Amino acid sequence: MTTDMNNSLYELPTESPRFVGQQVRRIEDPALVSGSVEFIDNVTLPGMLHAAILRCPHPHARIVSIDTTAARQLPGVVAVLTGEDVKRWCNPVVTAPEGWGAYCLAVDKARFVGEPVMAIAATDRYIAEDACELVEVEYEVLPAVPDAPAAIAADSPLLFENQNSNVMLQRVYDWGEVEPLFERADHIVRETFRWNRVGANPMETFGCISQWNLADNSLTCRGSYQTPSFMVLGRSASLNLPSNKVRIIAHPHGGSFGGKGGPRGTDISALLSRKAGGRPVKYIEDRAEYLLAGGGQSWDRYYEAALAVMADGTVTGLKVKLLDDQGAGAEGYGTISVAKPLAAFTGPYRIQAAQYDLTVVATNRAPTFAYRGYGPPPHNLVLETLMDSAARELGIDSAEIRRRNYIQPEQFPYTIPSGNEYDSGNYPEVLARALQMADYEALRAQQQTARDEGRYLGIGVVSTVEPGVFDWNAYRTAGVQGVGVPEGARVNFDMLGQVTVTVGFALEGQGQYTVAAQVVADYFGLEMDAVRVVCASSDAAPPHFGPGGSRVGVALTGAVLGACHKIAEKFRRVGAVLLQCEPDDLELAGGAVRMRERPEAQLGLADLAGTMLARSDLLPPDMDPHPGATHVWTPPGRTEPDEQGRCKSYLTAANATHVVLVEVDPDTGVTEILKYVIVDDCGTRLNPANVEGQVQGGVAQGVGAALLEQYVYTEDGQPLVSTFADYLMPTLHEVPITQKGAVVTPSPFTPLGAKGCGEGSIHITPAAVICAINDALQPLGVKVRETPASPSRIWNLIREAGT
Amino acid sequence: MKPAPFDYYAPDTLSDVVALLQRLENDDIDAKVLAGGQSLLPMLSLRVARPEALVDLRKLADLNYIREEGDTLAIGAMTTKSAVEDSPLVQRRQPLLHAATRLVGHRQIRNRGSFGGSFTQADPASEYPAAAIALDMELKVVGPDGERRVAAQDFFITYMTTDLDTTEVLTEIRVPALPAGTGWSFQEIARRHGDFAMAGVAVTLRVENGVCRAPRIVAFGVGATALRLPEAEQVVDGKALDSALFQEAGHAGAAALEEPSSDVHASADYRRQLVAVLVARGLAEAVARSAA
Amino acid sequence: MTTRHQISVTVNGVNYQREVDARLTLADFVRHDLSLGGTHVGCEHGVCGACTILVNGASMRSCLMLAVQADGAELTTVEGLSRNGELHPVQQAFIDRHGLQCGFCTPGFLISTAELLQGNPNPSDDEIADALGGHLCRCTGYQSILESVQLAAQMMREGTIVDAASPAEA
Repeated sequence: MTTDMNNSLYELPTESPRFVGQQVRRIEDPALVSGSVEFIDNVTLPGMLHAAILRCPHPHARIVSIDTTAARQLPGVVAVLTGEDVKRWCNPVVTAPEGWGAYCLAVDKARFVGEPVMAIAATDRYIAEDACELVEVEYEVLPAVPDAPAAIAADSPLLFENQNSNVMLQRVYDWGEVEPLFERADHIVRETFRWNRVGANPMETFGCISQWNLADNSLTCRGSYQTPSFMVLGRSASLNLPSNKVRIIAHPHGGSFGGKGGPRGTDISALLSRKAGGRPVKYIEDRAEYLLAGGGQSWDRYYEAALAVMADGTVTGLKVKLLDDQGAGAEGYGTISVAKPLAAFTGPYRIQAAQYDLTVVATNRAPTFAYRGYGPPPHNLVLETLMDSAARELGIDSAEIRRRNYIQPEQFPYTIPSGNEYDSGNYPEVLARALQMADYEALRAQQQTARDEGRYLGIGVVSTVEPGVFDWNAYRTAGVQGVGVPEGARVNFDMLGQVTVTVGFALEGQGQYTVAAQVVADYFGLEMDAVRVVCASSDAAPPHFGPGGSRVGVALTGAVLGACHKIAEKFRRVGAVLLQCEPDDLELAGGAVRMRERPEAQLGLADLAGTMLARSDLLPPDMDPHPGATHVWTPPGRTEPDEQGRCKSYLTAANATHVVLVEVDPDTGVTEILKYVIVDDCGTRLNPANVEGQVQGGVAQGVGAALLEQYVYTEDGQPLVSTFADYLMPTLHEVPITQKGAVVTPSPFTPLGAKGCGEGSIHITPAAVICAINDALQPLGVKVRETPASPSRIWNLIREAGT
Repeated sequence: MKPAPFDYYAPDTLSDVVALLQRLENDDIDAKVLAGGQSLLPMLSLRVARPEALVDLRKLADLNYIREEGDTLAIGAMTTKSAVEDSPLVQRRQPLLHAATRLVGHRQIRNRGSFGGSFTQADPASEYPAAAIALDMELKVVGPDGERRVAAQDFFITYMTTDLDTTEVLTEIRVPALPAGTGWSFQEIARRHGDFAMAGVAVTLRVENGVCRAPRIVAFGVGATALRLPEAEQVVDGKALDSALFQEAGHAGAAALEEPSSDVHASADYRRQLVAVLVARGLAEAVARSAA
Repeated sequence: MTTRHQISVTVNGVNYQREVDARLTLADFVRHDLSLGGTHVGCEHGVCGACTILVNGASMRSCLMLAVQADGAELTTVEGLSRNGELHPVQQAFIDRHGLQCGFCTPGFLISTAELLQGNPNPSDDEIADALGGHLCRCTGYQSILESVQLAAQMMREGTIVDAASPAEA
């Protein structure tokens, strides 16, 4: 069964687009380089107060009492919010699975260091922070669950007493006859891994201004929201408000990558506004708060995995056992991140059957949230390291074992054992190009020469698949109720022929507004500067979901093309009246509607729009005089999961191969990246510069995860990371300058053939770098099995092997 | 993340500063001297430091200079690190100091951070205390009783603690000339370029007739202060140059470390290893740079 | 508790006289007291570089200064880079080479780049890394930033705007 799709709705009416597919400048940029973009902390409203939050210093503690007397007396303090208020007014946050959520402020007990305990609104932030220091909280410290193994120990303390266990989710997925394949295998390769917590850390933290309208009991929240409609539903549920009484105004934000948090900060500032008589309350999460407790931590995992391999290098079966630490509850929808690997469980390979043994637990670490990629980066590290181990055991080159196992170009659409359908690709070609660009044979020779000199060079050749354009339905298998992923665009001409595209999501960096302008300009034969793209508030925007799951480039293209198609139909009908012919006699070309047979008979788009808006008396009374249209695009052909979680979840499957050369200094454990080559295939490249920006940005985050970044916790569950001196994101010095190449296999399922491309690079880079390091370390008989591969960790491995 | 309240003063003259520090001390007010503020401001914003008063030296323009006094370079404490970095005099006369300066934070930090501030801050992982001991710098300090001079070796007491009294101000750092032909090395290993070092070493030595003379080896990032490693120096002092010997010196120096610090970035054992490696590499580089 | 101080600063050529709390950071002063919101705050403890401005011509982190310390100083923020509505070549180069994505860190990069190119019209990659290594960007992976700086240097050397990204040439 393959996906049917009516693409005729989603085509450009031109063979030679001027903008789509070109490296055009971004329409977002002039304002951004001028410093005039309205990020949320640049906004001041009349009467606005500033919130500060007092946070729990213990991993697990009962709140015995809170004394706010002194704080209330500090001049400038206007409102104080505690768990008692919250208990009266709110509900615990909705989670997946259900029942693993907390209130926005700790009620009765706190479950992680940094959990909000009380909050204050004052006339400025300095005073609000002063006031927090005057609050006295008495805690009864409870035994903590510091990590995942402790969570499943027999006598483990409970985080959520109503659950009788710290296990949120436990199940085994079986896809095909795995056991017989392992029994018949010539080789079985096994590995264990520890992936330590990393996280998004956008340069702007979360921020919002909430205003509770006491007259009609409605709420307006301005802020750095990635998914406004989703926030509306969440706030409605947690604050007991009808969903049409919550209005979200998304501001441009300084990056997001999924990890922008926001629900608690929004609820707290909203309730402070309610207590402050409806004055607007600004809450700007600071970096220490973000690092401790913001929505910025992800992927805290323990893996055991095995690969069944035949003597000729054919990989037949994969088993992955995962123990996943969600932290203190499921409020961040981190459970999705353990389910997402189903969309590309077996990577680019023809692996016949697979098994996923999943245990998801709660601990007294900060709750985990989405982070770019949403789960596959650790999974791909596991799979790709196993591929290298198999190659080594069989004496096959690491590039060759991948080539032998790829899904072949003629096999698409291809359904993998875990159920997703890959749309298209040419994996052997991507590999071949990457090896050629890297001059792979020369690299291997260089490695050999270096080894002879006692130096440790390593090469990683890694291939992955990036599922793109996600569908919520897939996550019912992790307990998530689907809320849909519509993406709508409203395209309106004004009477002078200028165009405004209205969408429901704000700028956050990927350049999608530019893509919308490219598409509209090419569709109607306009210059790009005739097109403006704006974000409407949640109550005025077309149905939307916004960025997430590598989907907006594709989804927005579909929405805009659909709207343009509807407008073109209207223009033809109006044109037919004015030119006294039939609509079918007319075509849209060169910025005008003209007669197919007599192209000199034409009407400009401004004339048509102007007639519709200003001279509708010239038109028949039943003719729609609106030179605009709204279209909502959703991915076609997605299915809901069966009892084994199998479904068509992601519409596109992009593919990449990275070739990395590293040198490891065995005396210091320091890794240096010497060469980095990337070839990717994400179908049609709507704006190649945008694609390359996504690719390189993902490399940076992947290098960070592989070498530098970790949220460190002590054995008692205390976080040791609270500043950027502890959480080390790569700088210009640490990120490799990469050579990039492209193979283009357009998707048959998407408008214009583009595939999701926002996450592929972080899916693959950690695996590529770690595989290269392990290749370097091979003569020393050691292997990195824990991230990040920090100098001290590598040196320890070498030392332990040497004694 | 906003500073707690404090009073702020910016006296016009050095004597006014000293008098104010005395008055604040007499009034039992916890005061801190503010120079570039590149270490102090983060601590204020994180509310880790909570002084009741700040005494800013920014109006003491006469503490901003780099000049030659005979063989010695005299550098005013309020000179910025980037001025030291860019100074042709420093590059020519004290290349080790130039190299160490380039490793302090980033350019934007060096543009604001004062040269003297890193001495009074006495962070054991910072570069200047090690450079100061390696180069045998002398510190000029002014207090209620007038001026005194302290050898760098005696200035750094322990973690973030110096010989400076709360009513004293560091005014000048004096860098004596190195004997002709001295080879030097300044090396560190940090998680990222510009971060505080997990460990580092400063080395100076001379080579005479193939023999190592007057080696001075200082390690930093591994203890409560930057510290000389006499055990390592003794291994090479007066000996013929030999890379095996450099490694032996590294191991001797590392073994003599009492209790290297341990944090999220590096364990004590790992720091010991880095010292062993960096001493050996530093010796080799210093020998290569020496005019034998 | 906290002293208040009269200060006089010139920002982008405009003189401002204000009374400020001793503890007010220069970043907060510029952003909120002067409503110059182009200077962004990413960490408030001097690591990320987003808040970098020029103080008397030198790049500094405005979160690591108190407003009162800037008394008498001349400041340049990102709003002061363009002249008479014309973008500074550094700004234009960042647009042309896609040297930004979310744009939050960008004002800091632009300021430090402007400082670098003022003193060094033809910087090497290493010199660029040295000047910009103290700025964190979480979006771009820096490669396009490096290329933007090289392009800006070329534009400034040649005194021209290099049309690098028009579709016709792509």
